[in-house]
Amino acid sequence: MTQVLGEAVGAVRAEVPRRTRGRGTPRRKLTKRGRSEARFFWLFISPWLIGFVGFLLGPMIASIYLSLTEWDSFTPAKFVGLDNYVHALTQDPIFWKALTNTFYYALVSVPLGLAVGVWLANLLNKKVRGRKLFRTMIYLPTLVPLVATAMVFKMVLAPSGPLNDLLGVLGINGPDWLLDPTWVKPALIVLSAWGAGGATVLLLSAMNSIPREFYEAAEIDGAGPIRQFWSITFPQITPIIFFNLIMGLIGAFQIFSQVYILTSGGPDNASMTMVPLLFREAFSFYHFGYASAIAWLLFVVITGFTAIAFRTSRKWVFYETKVR
Amino acid sequence: MSTKRTLGASARMVAIAAAGALTLTACAQGGGNDESPSGPTTLKMVVWGGDVDKATYQERVDLFEASQDAITIDLQLIPGDQYEQKVQTMIAGGDGPDILEVAEGVNVYSSKNQIIPLDDLIASAGLDLEERFGPVGTLYSYQDSVYAIPDRSGAMIVYYNKDLFDAAGVEYPSADWSWEDAHSAMEALTVPGEQWGYAGAGWWPQWWSLAYQNGGQIIDDEGRPAVDSPEVVEALQWANDLAYVDHVVPTPAEYADMGPDMGGDPAFAAQKVAMNTTGFWAISGLLEVDFNWDIAPMWGGEQQAVSAFGSGLAISRDSESPEQAFQAIDFLTDAEAQAVIIKNAQDVPANLEVQQSEAFLSPEWTTREVNMGAFGESAAFVFTAPLVPEWNEMQAAFDDNLGTFWNEGGDAAAQLAIIQTQLESIIQPAS
Repeated sequence: MTQVLGEAVGAVRAEVPRRTRGRGTPRRKLTKRGRSEARFFWLFISPWLIGFVGFLLGPMIASIYLSLTEWDSFTPAKFVGLDNYVHALTQDPIFWKALTNTFYYALVSVPLGLAVGVWLANLLNKKVRGRKLFRTMIYLPTLVPLVATAMVFKMVLAPSGPLNDLLGVLGINGPDWLLDPTWVKPALIVLSAWGAGGATVLLLSAMNSIPREFYEAAEIDGAGPIRQFWSITFPQITPIIFFNLIMGLIGAFQIFSQVYILTSGGPDNASMTMVPLLFREAFSFYHFGYASAIAWLLFVVITGFTAIAFRTSRKWVFYETKVR
Repeated sequence: MSTKRTLGASARMVAIAAAGALTLTACAQGGGNDESPSGPTTLKMVVWGGDVDKATYQERVDLFEASQDAITIDLQLIPGDQYEQKVQTMIAGGDGPDILEVAEGVNVYSSKNQIIPLDDLIASAGLDLEERFGPVGTLYSYQDSVYAIPDRSGAMIVYYNKDLFDAAGVEYPSADWSWEDAHSAMEALTVPGEQWGYAGAGWWPQWWSLAYQNGGQIIDDEGRPAVDSPEVVEALQWANDLAYVDHVVPTPAEYADMGPDMGGDPAFAAQKVAMNTTGFWAISGLLEVDFNWDIAPMWGGEQQAVSAFGSGLAISRDSESPEQAFQAIDFLTDAEAQAVIIKNAQDVPANLEVQQSEAFLSPEWTTREVNMGAFGESAAFVFTAPLVPEWNEMQAAFDDNLGTFWNEGGDAAAQLAIIQTQLESIIQPAS
């Protein structure tokens, strides 16, 4: 998110002070007012800064060190070098299973969530009767606490539950969802699609801000609704899709509560993902060093995927301000 | 000269500061009471649980405080799901409680010297664990030292629905039952798709009881995993076949269809299953149901064996007054304080004298006749659970490899062979 914001800020900055900077003027000394503004800047930013350094940066650095040790939280940590990383990558089958599961979940649930979000937003953007009611209904599920949602889903996904009844009407013999190693991940993905309303709201507001004239012009040129969607709506909302993609990826790689409540990683680790795994290693098995190593490996994976998303973004994300 | 004076002044300041610190420490230890020079010692005690647990522990602590003047106890209750982490953090931060409640995870602490061995304190107090608690007396041991005194300990018992038994014309369960007797009763009590004879043995206390009845062990006497032995394999297969071959136990899919978080206890209360094996806690939920039920000791196999649920009290290494802490534990596990546990319907007191007392056998709160003697009867054949320091990892190895087995049926021998290999790498045999 920071980078998206950074780009937006950067765009503004690029337009305004370029004139002065362009002449190569050295950085001027701050005026009295500038100095007092700077003081206020540090004053107002300090709560966040202190919180970040003390409660985030500090523990992060500590966890890098811990990931190189064997530590049970009681006895002094023993330095073991890269052993934890080597163990995770070469000897721990559950680590690889959890990593594969996490990939599976993230790579299916995020695009699915975006597709559902765009589809819903597009529907809700039409002038239909009861539009406001529908918008509320779509967003409502994201407001329900996850624990409550999970309880409901346990019932919905029961072997003879409503979902399988529905599939039965279509002549499909539904699986045992949460009890079946093959179907437990799709079940979690179904649960994630339940929360698509959050993305829908953002996408909807993006669609609302597209100038009417574009559509009018397209209509005069003879473009049908589908052509209008792909040539106007979609390019215009790509920044928001991109934002949702990044946030969705990060969130999906860090999936925890759903797994913890619905399956605890079972059956046979078929739904074990990275964060529940590291939680179990740390707080249940007392392997804090190993858990820290898993956390940093997860960090590398997330950073990698975010970087890939940013790389490819130039090809498909459309910023109007950058049109030359 | 000036340097000397400064040095002298600094030394005085240091001395004053040190004295101040001493006073502070004294205050902290003395609990802020300066009536007598020694003052009462205040101990910090942590337990887990809910409202009933809090009230019960507090009542027992009050009894202890009333019995003497030298020691007071500051009781802290931590919700069960945060207990381990919280205590772990306290100990890691050097601020461990004096007395802590422990259960299956006891040897996580003892193996890392976070709680102290109690052998000397037990000896000097003249406490006979065998006499007071029976076979569970030394349950919380590690490498031949006792690390916690049993406080609550109730065997797993069989709950049975008398109405369903009468309707099917089946004899009530008893400790004399063999597996065959249990099996034929389950068959007679099953109405396909509607009612099942037994709630199942998928939880470790349940199928481990069967394994020990069959002469098997989870961890052998040398401290090595022994789950792939024919005895354990046979017991596990028997337990699973009840659901998938004989259909006298609901499968997890059938449970899931009954409602969210459905299991043996609620299914028994809903009269879906005629028998259920679980702990004391189910009694309170069944006092108001409108069918007749009772409890009995678990049936046996080759031999009698059953698991027990409970917890003990231990002393952390951070405690500055272990003698006083032990004195408190001794009192809390003696008859007077233990009687409160049953009076409040909290749990089964570990103290055998109380388990056999009238207050336990016909508690004031029962609304119906319950065979409370089943607990005392079972106490004689409770097997010693293998409380290895790697307890949680061991449980995870079972869960990780028996999920599909319980959910879809399967081959116990194959799964236990995998588990055996995993356990061998997880568990370091105690030397």
